[in-house]
Amino acid sequence: MIIRLRDSAKLLGIVIMCACAVLVCTLFLNSNIDMVRIKNQITDPEMMIIYDLTVSSSNMTCAVTGGALGLTTVVMLLFYVKHYIDTHKSELGILKALGYSNWKIAKGFWVFGLSVFTGTAIGFGLAFAFMPMFYREQRNDGTLPDVPIHFNPVLLVYLIILPALVFSLLAVLYSYRKLKRPALELIRGNNNTKIRKSKVTGKDKTDVPFLQELKQSTLRSRFSLVFFIWFASFCYAAAVVMSFSISEIGGSDMMAVMMAGIGVVLAVTTLFLAVTTVIKGNTKTIAMLRVFGYSDRECSSAILSSYRPITYVGFILGTAYQHGLMKLMMFLFFNNSVLGLPDYHFNMQAFIIAFVSFVVIYEAFMKIYSARMKRISLKEVMMEE
Amino acid sequence: MIEIANITKTYGTSENAATALKGVSLTIDNGDFMVLLGASGSGKSTLLHIASGLERPNSGTVKYDDADITALSDDKMTTFRKEKVGFIFQQYYLLPNLNVDKNVKMGADLASNRDYRNIIRAVGLYDKMNKLPSELSGGEQQRVSIARALAKKPQVMFLDEPTGALDEETGRQVLNYICEMQKEVGFSMVMVTHNSNIAEMADSVVKMNSGKIIESYTNEKRKTAYEIGW
Repeated sequence: MIIRLRDSAKLLGIVIMCACAVLVCTLFLNSNIDMVRIKNQITDPEMMIIYDLTVSSSNMTCAVTGGALGLTTVVMLLFYVKHYIDTHKSELGILKALGYSNWKIAKGFWVFGLSVFTGTAIGFGLAFAFMPMFYREQRNDGTLPDVPIHFNPVLLVYLIILPALVFSLLAVLYSYRKLKRPALELIRGNNNTKIRKSKVTGKDKTDVPFLQELKQSTLRSRFSLVFFIWFASFCYAAAVVMSFSISEIGGSDMMAVMMAGIGVVLAVTTLFLAVTTVIKGNTKTIAMLRVFGYSDRECSSAILSSYRPITYVGFILGTAYQHGLMKLMMFLFFNNSVLGLPDYHFNMQAFIIAFVSFVVIYEAFMKIYSARMKRISLKEVMMEE
Repeated sequence: MIEIANITKTYGTSENAATALKGVSLTIDNGDFMVLLGASGSGKSTLLHIASGLERPNSGTVKYDDADITALSDDKMTTFRKEKVGFIFQQYYLLPNLNVDKNVKMGADLASNRDYRNIIRAVGLYDKMNKLPSELSGGEQQRVSIARALAKKPQVMFLDEPTGALDEETGRQVLNYICEMQKEVGFSMVMVTHNSNIAEMADSVVKMNSGKIIESYTNEKRKTAYEIGW
């Protein structure tokens, strides 16, 4: 096997992303399937409205959570495949030179789908562990009859087996596309990524300090990392502020805690993945900056601080997104119901708590990685060559 | 003047320990061009790294005008490198995402040198200012790295096998250019090489083997890059 199983184990971001998505979807979809069994017991029209509301809000939650996390997993998988090819260019080039076809090498990338299998399986298992509590919370007002928990094998197929197969196929096809390069180019380690150049146009450009130029170039060099860092703050804001909103409109505490937990886990995982890649991708640059006498503060500012504005924009957009989504859901579910529209306003206190906690987490990350940057030496870089 | 006294350097611990330098002492005068000559593993690169403040020795001192840099804190060592030394490496280590202009600017900004484009012009790359390192030949990349180091206006230039990755013709051009700049600007220069012919270009030569200095001498007359064998 060209790509080892061990390589799949490194895809922690995908495992966590899938676990979160499947946890939420399994809870709501299993509950929806089980609720069908009690539908004929409901005779009261008002109770039927609540039944329909519960089912449709569950479907919407699954669509939003599963859709968003699914798309992000796709981006993350493609990122990992590209990253793997970029960091193993020489080995892959040698294989091609020896006569391995692109297709034969690409087939090995199916193991990346195992991370999806692992994540979805963990999420599925966790969902069944939380299921009794979830069912109890959903029906704690006593409006709907109790629903017994059943194991629905169809979810096993749709939430574990199919995603693992689809993502394995995606990894193979994407790697096949990325491997379509001459063997020599891979062996020499030439990077085929297009670097956007800013032209020198006379005296004016001399005035932009070098570190400012480096910041901009770091940001431009890998758009996927910009997306991940933006996504981390977006997720955190949307999930944490929404968890407060859920409590505010009388939703279950379990849901609120779960939502906040997922937001924090996703944000921390994504930040970890993105910032680690930023540092690894700039090791030589950092080493040279240090050799030439740029201070630790200047190095960390040039490499890491360019992501800060994007992070905070992501946070603001995440907050706006959750507010809009909550308003929309309220309107869709309760506008024509006899229950009336629940009282829901933007919760400034929740926003401040979420923002302050996010700033603490983000800045702690930056501190940790700035300290890690201090340990990078030219000797280390030379040894790797 | 740089005074290096009783430098020892050991990598690893206990049974895996490897001693790279065993009590090395030497002096480099201001404006001097010194070549450290030796085979691979002789300790010459380690000595260059310690003399330039990139690494710390286990014992011994490195004094720049009587100030011992081995005792400096990390921050002060960074400031020392910023103000005093320049580097040119065999592998160039240019920043891959930045064009020639910005790579040279990396050195120029440290010395607030706003005329750095004259150096780019002097190394013959003015018309390639917008090119990325990957779009340049090996010789051109090394010239960018020379321009970057010169733009920093160093007092001492450290060169680690600067022609190691170049063909003969390009290697001679690069060496010739470096020596001309040294004469013009007047900085001290310490070059590590395994090519004994290059030693004929230097003022003084230090031969190393197994972490020790085995011979040192002064050349009566410096040869140019086009007068030496290759």
